[in-house]
Amino acid sequence: MESQSINSKNIYYPPGGILMWIIIFLELFTFGMALVAMVAYSKDEPEVFHSSRLLLNTTFGLANTVFLLTSGFFMAKSVESFKANDSIKSSLYLKLTMLGGFLFLLLKSFEYYEKIGAGLSIGYNSFFSFYWMLTLFHVIHVLVGLVILSSVYVGLHKKNSSLELEDFEASAVFWHMCDLIWLLLFPIIYLLF
Amino acid sequence: MKNHLYFKVLVSLLILTILAALVVTLDIGLKATSAIILVFFMVKFLAVAFYFMELKTAHVFWKSAVLIFASIFLAIVLTLV
Repeated sequence: MESQSINSKNIYYPPGGILMWIIIFLELFTFGMALVAMVAYSKDEPEVFHSSRLLLNTTFGLANTVFLLTSGFFMAKSVESFKANDSIKSSLYLKLTMLGGFLFLLLKSFEYYEKIGAGLSIGYNSFFSFYWMLTLFHVIHVLVGLVILSSVYVGLHKKNSSLELEDFEASAVFWHMCDLIWLLLFPIIYLLF
Repeated sequence: MKNHLYFKVLVSLLILTILAALVVTLDIGLKATSAIILVFFMVKFLAVAFYFMELKTAHVFWKSAVLIFASIFLAIVLTLV
C-alpha cells in the first residue's frame, strides 16, 4: 500500500490548509480577547467571580477536557491511518473521535441543565454572562465539528469516494481547534478565579 | 513509532490537566496558582498544536505564529491576574 503525504513545509500548505489556519487564528483571537476581558472584569468584582467559580463543577470541566483530549488523540490516529490507506482503522478511530465529541456534549448538556435549574442563567451576574457566552459558542463549534466529521465518515464509506487527504486533514484540524479553544476556556473559567 | 508518540502526548496532556485541577486545591496564593495553571495550559496548547495538529512538520512561520499567540495570551492574563 502506498502512503499519502502533503509537503507541509511549504508556507502556503500548513497541515489542514492555509484557509483553515486563518479561521483557527481568528477563532483563537476572538476567544482569547473575550477571556482577557473576563479576567479584566474579575478585577472589579473579585468576590463575585470567586463565589461564582465555586458554583461550577470542576469535575465536569475536567471530565470534558479528558473527553476532548482523548477525542483529539483518536482524530490524530485516524488521519495517520488514512495516510497509510488503512480505511478500516481510520473509520474506527473516526467513530471513537465522534464518541468523544458526543460524550462532551452530553456532559455539557447535563451541566447546563443543572445551572438553569439552580437559576444560574446568563443574566445572573457578569461571571455567568461570560460563562454562558463562551461555553455556548464553543459548544456550537463542537456541533459543527461533529457535522463535518460525520460527512467525512460518510465519504470514507462511499464506494468510489472522492475524499482527499487535504479534506480529511482540514476536518481533523477543525476538530483539534475545538480542543484548543477548550484548553483556553477550561483553566480560566473553571480554575482561575 | 508515531503510535507511541501520540499516546505519550495524550498521557502527558491528561496528567497536566489533572495536576492543574489539583493545584487549585493548594493554598499557595492566587498569583502562584494562576501562574502554574497557565503554564500547564501553555504546554498543553502547544502539545495539541504541534503533535496532534502536526504543526511540527509545518513551515516555521506557522510554528512561530502559534507560539507567539500562546505567549502573548499567557503574558496578558498573568499581568491582569
